[in-house]
Amino acid sequence: MTGEALRILILVAQFAFVGLLYLVLFAFARSLLHDLRSAERTQEAAREGIGRLTVLESPEDEPPVGRSIALGPINSIGRNVNSTIFVEDDFASATHAMLTFRGRAWFIEDQGSTNGTFVNGHRIDRPVALSYGDEVSVGRVRMRLEH
Amino acid sequence: MRLAWRGTELRLLIPLVILVPLGFAVTHIAVSNALDPGPLGLAIAYVALVLAAHLALVMLGHRGDQLLLPLAATIGGVGLVMLNRLPQDLTGMTLFGVQIGMAGTQLAWFALGLAAMVAIAVFFRDDGALRHYKYTWAAAGAVLLVITFLFGAEVNGARLWLHFGPVGFQPGEAIKIVLVVFIAGYLAENRALLSDALRRIGPVKIPPLPYLLPMLAMFAIVMGIVVISKDLGTALLFYGIFLVMLFVATGRRSYVLVGLLLFLAGSFAAYQVFAHVRVRVDNWINPWADPTGSGYQTVQAIYAFGRGGLFGEGLGQGLPLISGHLPIPAIQTDFIFTAIAEELGLVGAFALLALMAALVFRGLRIAILARDDFSSLLAVGLIASIGLQTLIIVAGNAKLIPLTGITFPFVSYGGSSLLASFVVLGLLLSISHRSAMETAAPMAEPSSGQAS
Repeated sequence: MTGEALRILILVAQFAFVGLLYLVLFAFARSLLHDLRSAERTQEAAREGIGRLTVLESPEDEPPVGRSIALGPINSIGRNVNSTIFVEDDFASATHAMLTFRGRAWFIEDQGSTNGTFVNGHRIDRPVALSYGDEVSVGRVRMRLEH
Repeated sequence: MRLAWRGTELRLLIPLVILVPLGFAVTHIAVSNALDPGPLGLAIAYVALVLAAHLALVMLGHRGDQLLLPLAATIGGVGLVMLNRLPQDLTGMTLFGVQIGMAGTQLAWFALGLAAMVAIAVFFRDDGALRHYKYTWAAAGAVLLVITFLFGAEVNGARLWLHFGPVGFQPGEAIKIVLVVFIAGYLAENRALLSDALRRIGPVKIPPLPYLLPMLAMFAIVMGIVVISKDLGTALLFYGIFLVMLFVATGRRSYVLVGLLLFLAGSFAAYQVFAHVRVRVDNWINPWADPTGSGYQTVQAIYAFGRGGLFGEGLGQGLPLISGHLPIPAIQTDFIFTAIAEELGLVGAFALLALMAALVFRGLRIAILARDDFSSLLAVGLIASIGLQTLIIVAGNAKLIPLTGITFPFVSYGGSSLLASFVVLGLLLSISHRSAMETAAPMAEPSSGQAS
């Protein structure tokens, strides 16, 4: 084989090596992406799974009565627009209460709100465990925890 | 034990069957300048070893992450191609009177590493031994450090080798893992204390002094390494791992800030006091001040990067000899990335770094999915050690930071380093196996080969 042909062969094999390396890289990227997507889906499924808050009473209609809000593991409730559950009510504080799913149970904790957080009509002064069906009041907004 | 089909892993390992022998053949053809692929035994043995490790995981019913092994094996495969291309008499081992070349020795360590990985991944089902005896582990690490100081051999101005007969061993690699175990145990126990009680001094929030102590102790250990064993790379790596884990555990930027300030102060002091630190920094600022002496390595590395350019000189066609020697000292260990960048160019070097980034990403994912604080922090620390090590050595090669001699995980020649990297991989596999077993059904069944 002539030197010229050999040089071309080396060049081609060389690019085949790097090309293959990139093919492998591409396969890895696809696997990573696939896993990310499926993780996202399971997370969404899990979020739908742990619970919902259904709005029973809301004078300002934000959130509107009848809406059912899917809950994550940690939910802030308040008049701050960045709250997970944004409540437009003059009697609610900016950061009013925290609704969290810990281990196997739901807990609600007042965040030092002016008018207090009520569970089934009783004002709470410490973190309280909730059962499905319990009613939570923040300001004049009343919501029910559902599965 | 039930079989666990690991389809994704197998599918991603298949390209290696072509990649590694192809690399060996291209190198040999280019070097010999004849149409002769040369001996492919080592390449085939490497692929067989990796596939054997895969098979062992399948047979033993392992359900851990399926991307870790293919990623590490691809990175290691590129490394082996490069080590096989370098002159085999750079280093090597004589076992039972038989001289084994550099690539052969590295392959032997690969075999040992893969075996260790499988053993740890499969039989390490309970992390109590790590979690509960964290102070014992820390003490063992400290003892190892002291032994190295007392009996270690000094190479290139750093004291980091212990010799047992013909086999040399770098205790720093073992200490690295022990350290991560200890920090993970400590932080998992005290993270609430560390992240809550903050005191405000001026514009920054500072944790109260008792909680700062472990950080100061860590800082003292690192400075001790710098002073005693003169091993800057390891010191930088340990401190980096510590800061990453502290930040992940507490989520407090103030700790990182305090840590970085301490680091700056420490570096400045070290520069003022120690000559070996000063030499490194001066070479970084201007290697051309002494291009044939202390700046030689860095200058030659920069030339090599330049010769490589975008597409590289080609496997086996770069690294011209200067009076019969390769231009860059320590090219098989500290400067292996430079060799790859010269022969495969920016494209090849980038592919290698991207694979490494994917590995780190995967490690962080394992940390997120881990079931408890300890496992999670352990995974973060372990993968941070791999990632930071890569960053430090690549940046050192490319003169982005002062050069500090540490290895490129899975690529550099060196038994201790390779073994430690595979132990890290084994631990990550075992953590991901446990979270896969404990999570509800949808997560326990990792995506099968056809799914993606």
